[in-house]
Amino acid sequence: MSRESAARRFAVAAAALSAAAAALVGLALLAGASPLDAVRALAEGAAGSPAALGETLARATALVLTAIGASLAFRVGVLNIGLEGQFLAGAVAAAAVGPLLAGSPLAARAGLLAAAALAGALWVMPAAYLEARRGVPEVLSTILLNLVAAAGVSGLVRGALQDPGGDYPQSRALPDAVRLAPLAAGGRVTAAILIALALALFATLLLEWTPFGLKLRATGLAPAAARAIGLPRARLRLLAFAASGALAGLAGGLEVLAVTGRLYDPFTAGVGYTGIAAALLGGSHPLAAAVSAVLFAALGTGSSAMQRDTGVPGALATIVPGVLVLAVLAARARLARKAA
Amino acid sequence: MFPGEIHALLGENGAGKSTLVSIAAGRLVADSGEILRGGSQASYRNARDARHAGLVLVPQHDLLIGAASVADNLAFLDPAAPFFESAAARRARVGRLAQAFGLELGDADARADALPVGTRQRIEIAGALAGDPDVLILDEPTAVLSPDETAALFASLRKRADAGAAVVLITHRLAEVFAGADRLTLLARGRSVKTCRVSETTPQEIGGLLLTNTEGEKNFLEGVWGARALDSRADTPGGRSQTHSSEHAAQSAATQPLPSLVLTGFAPDEARAVRAERISLSLLPGEILVLLAIDGNGADTIARAIAGLERFSGRVEVGGVPLPLSGDPLAFRAAGGAFVPADRREEGLVAALSLSENLALPNPPGSVFLDRPAMRAHAEERLRAFGVRYASPAALAGSLSGGNQQKTVLARELAHRPGVLVAVHPTRGLDLASAAAVRSRILDACRSGTAALAVTADPDEAQLFGAPLRVVYRGRLSAALEPTTPPAALGRLMAGLEG
Repeated sequence: MSRESAARRFAVAAAALSAAAAALVGLALLAGASPLDAVRALAEGAAGSPAALGETLARATALVLTAIGASLAFRVGVLNIGLEGQFLAGAVAAAAVGPLLAGSPLAARAGLLAAAALAGALWVMPAAYLEARRGVPEVLSTILLNLVAAAGVSGLVRGALQDPGGDYPQSRALPDAVRLAPLAAGGRVTAAILIALALALFATLLLEWTPFGLKLRATGLAPAAARAIGLPRARLRLLAFAASGALAGLAGGLEVLAVTGRLYDPFTAGVGYTGIAAALLGGSHPLAAAVSAVLFAALGTGSSAMQRDTGVPGALATIVPGVLVLAVLAARARLARKAA
Repeated sequence: MFPGEIHALLGENGAGKSTLVSIAAGRLVADSGEILRGGSQASYRNARDARHAGLVLVPQHDLLIGAASVADNLAFLDPAAPFFESAAARRARVGRLAQAFGLELGDADARADALPVGTRQRIEIAGALAGDPDVLILDEPTAVLSPDETAALFASLRKRADAGAAVVLITHRLAEVFAGADRLTLLARGRSVKTCRVSETTPQEIGGLLLTNTEGEKNFLEGVWGARALDSRADTPGGRSQTHSSEHAAQSAATQPLPSLVLTGFAPDEARAVRAERISLSLLPGEILVLLAIDGNGADTIARAIAGLERFSGRVEVGGVPLPLSGDPLAFRAAGGAFVPADRREEGLVAALSLSENLALPNPPGSVFLDRPAMRAHAEERLRAFGVRYASPAALAGSLSGGNQQKTVLARELAHRPGVLVAVHPTRGLDLASAAAVRSRILDACRSGTAALAVTADPDEAQLFGAPLRVVYRGRLSAALEPTTPPAALGRLMAGLEG
């Protein structure tokens, strides 16, 4: 997909944007509002003010990271659909070790994020093992591990991790000194988004510009050839599993560190799944996937403003990504058939 | 094309034969022009439409459903199959079609993806013939057939033609064209060069036309007459005199170079194919051994197991290094092995990567970032040295024709002067010039010290290597045979009628 010609990219983008526009206009008309007003409200709600933009970027952080994780895995041919569960594993690790970490805030943050990334990578290992040794499709095992993780969070916030100081199903809050401070006073956006975007750039460089990245891509594009040519296919696939799990775990850790400060239930509204959608929209290209993730986050924040101002349902925020991804996949499949 | 005729379509690799018939059968869309059938326009949107209209294509690479059994695949292919059909009836069809068309179709319950390429192709051919199509197009059907099966296939095709069908046959074998076809068309670079009745021309004329429409292959004649090329090798020290006593080579190691490849009590574990008998042999640097076998007799598996792609028992040493029994392509390559797989599209190249990227694998240059200029230069050098016709090193490997893909695989595999080259059907499906070029590259490598093990199903091909042959039948190796053994005798050994 990184090799789509410019004309082809344009055709795909045009198809996707017209489909998304059609969905937006259709919903606005159904709600009896002017589509133009709806778009204006959506844009203003997403990026019309520093606060709105900050909210969008704060939301985008976890999405960008899971989108990179999905892109990396997909490019190596690993269908990790369990980013949601790995995100939760990372959040659990952050909530568990966070309150225990003493010392300088910087060291505590580093420890917390390392624990979160490690937990995400560990959470994907059963799927990696089952695939390598028993041929269990990772699509199934990772998605099932999502359910295990969700149930685990639900049990932990009512059990071992419950805040002893309250009755709510939530963990103890991180010390304020450890939590990431907002970049601007009063806003919610923190340096976390910068970490996420830097990782997107790093992942792109790794895949497209390094010898190691070429090996990874070859493994994803032609597993049988990769093995016969003499690439360490099993090791590269294991690495892709671990890296995508670690990125999702890191997303969960940053969510606790920068946004929520603690773990509660339910902790995610599908950030792992939306990350996969962003990866698909971005053609599993980490930078493009990161841009898609920011776009989806903007839709999320903008749509609540749009619902408030124009009455167009906020469900748009979930409909449009779905329509976009379907349109892109359909357009790519059609172009691929023509070109074959 | 007329009803009742067998029309042969000839041309070098990349001439556009497969593309043309794929368009006719609705698998690809034409950029321009139209196809007329019975005076009216006949462009099919997909293969199913074409099949319903009585036009069936047997593709060069079979399109069977891997997870389904032979019996089920044939039921899918047979338009006369009822919607509900008992498993027994489906199994019975396998035997019936095998009998009717003289093709060995294998075990009715075997999964298609567990079968060798040759058997899969035979299933596809049987399925096509089963429907009594009005227009039957076969894309290189005989590349994977034994001489007897080829004869049976031509008899079936003649029967279809006599019943009024038009048969199009793509092939590289001139002998078949002149023995079995009525008319022929010669394609070169997408254009029709000549169409005539077979009786109005000679193999010499067509062979000449094929060559003049091919880019000048420097080593063409040398490759065609590989035997002669190898004879000259016998004059050089360490040449031919050693080849025949390969089993004893290890014993006299003190006076001779160490063997490049040693098999001791070796047998692949492969359960789904024919179980090979234990094999012991050794190859010295520069030696060639050709394994000749009809697909399905275990020769491919032997080669794959040596290359680390299948588990085996016994002992394999490459350059003196024993390889792990579990099969490890990395260990094989680290010991100096190179491998040319039978399925170049699946295992030989990464179709969606560029030529320069393919040629840079498995160890792309660059310390931190890819050294793209070096990759490009390396690719241009290798592709030129192997006579690959390509647009640019940035072109996708999948965009090349079969022959050029095969040359690209060899260009990569022979880049680092391997100690041992294992090549499975290295020239299968290639036109004469490409096949000769591929053979001459392998012979070149052997002259500079590579030991080669080549697997082929074509007796003529086997002889052109000019090296000792061993016929593999049901996993058993024959004694070493002279390259001058008559093809008829080789054919009998391959069919298990002798030996």
